[in-house]
Amino acid sequence: MILQDDMEKQTKFKVLLVDDEEIFREATARQLRVRGFAVLTADSGETALDLVRTDPPEVVLLDQEMPGMHGSDTFIAIKEINPLIEVIMLTGNTSVENALELMKLGTFDYLMKPVNIDELLYKVEDAHARKQLNERKQQRDSNSTT
Amino acid sequence: MLKTLGNRLQKLFTKDRDTEVPSLDTAAVEELQLTFKARYYSFRQLLTANTKTLESMAEIEKALQGYEPFSFSFVQKACGTVSINVFSMIQHMENIAPGKYGALRESFASIQSRIDALLRQKKELSDRRLVIPLEAVTSEMTDVVGGKMANLGDVKNRLQMRVPAGFVITAAAHELFMNTNGLQKEVDRLFQVAGSDLDRNLDLVSSQIRQLILSADVPEPIYNAVIAAYEKLKQQHGGQEVRLAVRSSAHGEDSENSSFAGQYRSELNVNFDQFFHFFKQILASKYSPQAIAYKINKGFRDEDIAMCVGCLAMVDAVAGGVVYTRNPLDRRDDNIYINSTWGLPKAVVDGDTLCDLFVVARDEALTIVREEIYDKAFQVICYEEDGCIRTETDADTAKLPSLTEGQIRELADAALQIEDYYESPQDIEWAICSDGTIYFLQSRPLQQMEASLPADELNLDRFAASLLTDNGINASPGTASGRVFKVSKKVDILQFPEGAVLVVEQALPTWAPLVARAAAVISERGGFAGHLANVAREFGVPAIFGVTSAMDMAENGELVTVAADLKRVYLGSIAPLLEWKRPELTPMKGSPIYELLQQASRHIIPLNLIDPESRDFQPQNCTTFHDITRFIHEKSVVEMFNFGKDHHFSERSSKQLHYKVPMNWWILNLDDGFIHEVQGKYVRLEDIASIPMLAFWEGFVAIPWDGPPAMDGSGMTTILFRSTMNTALVTGSQSKYADRNYFMISKNFCTLSSRLGYHFSTMEAMVSERAVENYLGFKFKGGAADYERCLGRLRFIQEILERYGFRASINGDNLDARLEGRRIEYMLERLKILGYLTLHTRQLDMIMGNSAHVKYYMKKLTDDIDQILAGQHTCAV
Repeated sequence: MILQDDMEKQTKFKVLLVDDEEIFREATARQLRVRGFAVLTADSGETALDLVRTDPPEVVLLDQEMPGMHGSDTFIAIKEINPLIEVIMLTGNTSVENALELMKLGTFDYLMKPVNIDELLYKVEDAHARKQLNERKQQRDSNSTT
Repeated sequence: MLKTLGNRLQKLFTKDRDTEVPSLDTAAVEELQLTFKARYYSFRQLLTANTKTLESMAEIEKALQGYEPFSFSFVQKACGTVSINVFSMIQHMENIAPGKYGALRESFASIQSRIDALLRQKKELSDRRLVIPLEAVTSEMTDVVGGKMANLGDVKNRLQMRVPAGFVITAAAHELFMNTNGLQKEVDRLFQVAGSDLDRNLDLVSSQIRQLILSADVPEPIYNAVIAAYEKLKQQHGGQEVRLAVRSSAHGEDSENSSFAGQYRSELNVNFDQFFHFFKQILASKYSPQAIAYKINKGFRDEDIAMCVGCLAMVDAVAGGVVYTRNPLDRRDDNIYINSTWGLPKAVVDGDTLCDLFVVARDEALTIVREEIYDKAFQVICYEEDGCIRTETDADTAKLPSLTEGQIRELADAALQIEDYYESPQDIEWAICSDGTIYFLQSRPLQQMEASLPADELNLDRFAASLLTDNGINASPGTASGRVFKVSKKVDILQFPEGAVLVVEQALPTWAPLVARAAAVISERGGFAGHLANVAREFGVPAIFGVTSAMDMAENGELVTVAADLKRVYLGSIAPLLEWKRPELTPMKGSPIYELLQQASRHIIPLNLIDPESRDFQPQNCTTFHDITRFIHEKSVVEMFNFGKDHHFSERSSKQLHYKVPMNWWILNLDDGFIHEVQGKYVRLEDIASIPMLAFWEGFVAIPWDGPPAMDGSGMTTILFRSTMNTALVTGSQSKYADRNYFMISKNFCTLSSRLGYHFSTMEAMVSERAVENYLGFKFKGGAADYERCLGRLRFIQEILERYGFRASINGDNLDARLEGRRIEYMLERLKILGYLTLHTRQLDMIMGNSAHVKYYMKKLTDDIDQILAGQHTCAV
């Protein structure tokens, strides 16, 4: 029983990593997996949205500059599908104006590449904590209305 | 929201008491837990964003020292990181205290708009002509014709010296060339794709861009303008074809802080048939690997560098070279240095052959003080058709001086006139044609070196006996001397003498006002990114932080010398260190990127809001991002601390601590404060997961209380009197000596409202592996004795807390102590101290009138604490 509990504790939540840059995507995914996260990856905004619909993650790490569907549009689409999913934007070339706009719309945070892996892990965990908090609030609100 | 919550809780508790039926309102507890979690979460995020902001500010300040190169993308990233994190702090502050600090957003928007305006700035060309004749060029036209040609224009047109005729293809032409072919967009894209990997992909990116430029067509307007200018030049030369020296004259080139020497291409003796081929070569040379690297290292934005091209009639030189109006290797030497060789000056400029050196004194007669004549075996000359050739010099001529005395003096005299005109040392290229006429081809500011002075050369070993310390970090560079003045309490600020060396245990923002008055700052703790380090750098005051036992290193009033660069402090005045002037190896200073960062930093770095007690400590008074972070940090701690004060809970919504026996301690689990679900009325210590609470408890029970101190008659009278006068001292139906204590806990957080006898204390702690988020607050109030004795106890506790690293202040009858950002082990030890003090300072107010007792208890308490910290007492109860 104790062993099973420990096993369960070791499997952390699901993270979706979206980046068209394969080397960064795979290296970061590997580091997240080593630290116990279940990691899904997508190389475009479109693929990411499919995954959000079919296999929803807790937290999304989303590259801002991608060919095709831009990171900002992907973020808005993710929030439309599931407002509770937390999104951390990753960028190599930030327009502060854009970043601030997205923060007002509810991105969890904005990290600049190259990303420090420890900082990224903290952010992912913090984003998950916020998601859990918002879920509890939502649960509370639905209880109070019923 | 909080008010509603408070009302609901109030209702809950009232109902409980009135009906005497245990009815645990789980909804209210759930609400409280949610409120707590949201605030707790926001507070942690806020602290992280604060640290990130301070780190970025420290990076900006480091960059502004000018020693290390940085690019425009660094400026964007650093300023962007600060903006994003400050905004994040504002958002989290709004979660912690909704609606309370609305003005922060306005202050943020105002600061951000000023930074945006700076970063978006794009230069507008003041002259749209595509080609300008050299006789119309002056030094005010740098942005139109580039630095090199602008300088030469002055030499020709204002100083009326001999400069070959010619014309300049302008910045507007360059812009047209790049835009007509859609080249600029492609160049931008290639740089963007390379991103932060540009260093590694430099050759590839450079080659791609240069190919694009070389294969592009020259736009017709440029083509026509150049042909027209060349025709005029031909007319000036009697209608003969004129071979050209085609030289780069880019923005930034030949300016005071960046020569771009040798970075761009120049072509000599160009036949006009080949002109446009070489023109494109020169435009492409803006993107040679070394030019890209240099541009980054010297702080230029690609878009700010237009490549102008100077076209001069070629001088078929018999001798040429360079004059330095001063010694480039030694600022103190003001002789004129003339380097000369046979043929074109290119051989001297390229440094590929030995050349003659003539050193001329700056006296009336222009005395030649030194001549070094070398065997100039090779020379570069114009080829008959076009181009240049390196050829052997005739053996007899090779060893002859390449200049006559008259030419040497003529050059020296002209060089001095040019230096005088520009009011700065110059590096001047010249050539002498076969009829002996001297032509000036270029004049640019001379870079002078000053030897850096490492510790070894200062021979500091002889002062080894005076060395007090050589550890810590260089928080603000420089060297200074002054008398030690240790500051540990706020009251010390008033006595701080001007020009003293400030020595503190911790680099707190509290000491910021002293920095401007201090010669130097030394601190036992603190980092490069802290407020105090920022302030020290802002004021240019040397500072060393992280110096072990700094407070014990010297006595107050002793003279010391602080050499921050070496991280050393010496006893006495060490002359060689104080005489050492910092070498001005600051390649970035004065560059456009540097200026940009400096301007942006004025909206980021300065700290104006220092004193939280001041009336001006308001969100609307935040004029920099540093002000906003300071304000939010201060207020967030206060708001968080108020959580325990603002939210009360009944014993029925919580568990009673069972520690050997049921205790008068009630615990509300806010989140993950219990190891597992706890059934029933009691919770045992072993069920508790809260790290800070367990540490506090360990200190609380470490050493049994001896009971109340013996009090004199007046002490007892005071208690009886105060009990009747102050109803707050009476706890309802409970005995007035009863202890009522409430913990709210999660795994890494706890808040405690404690009432032991007649004193109240509140404690709030957040402790985890993330040191940056760790925080400990403690408030203490009350007592049964008279005001003086109560105050005496507060000072007593303050002294102990300060001794163990707390920041403690007394306002009225409140003691307020704080600690933050320390590692988990340190925090837990301090929690043990608070636990111990909570128990052992009870009723100590009664003995405050007796100095012998005070002394006795001070020794006893600190001895006990030392033993607890040494691990010699655990759970003695």
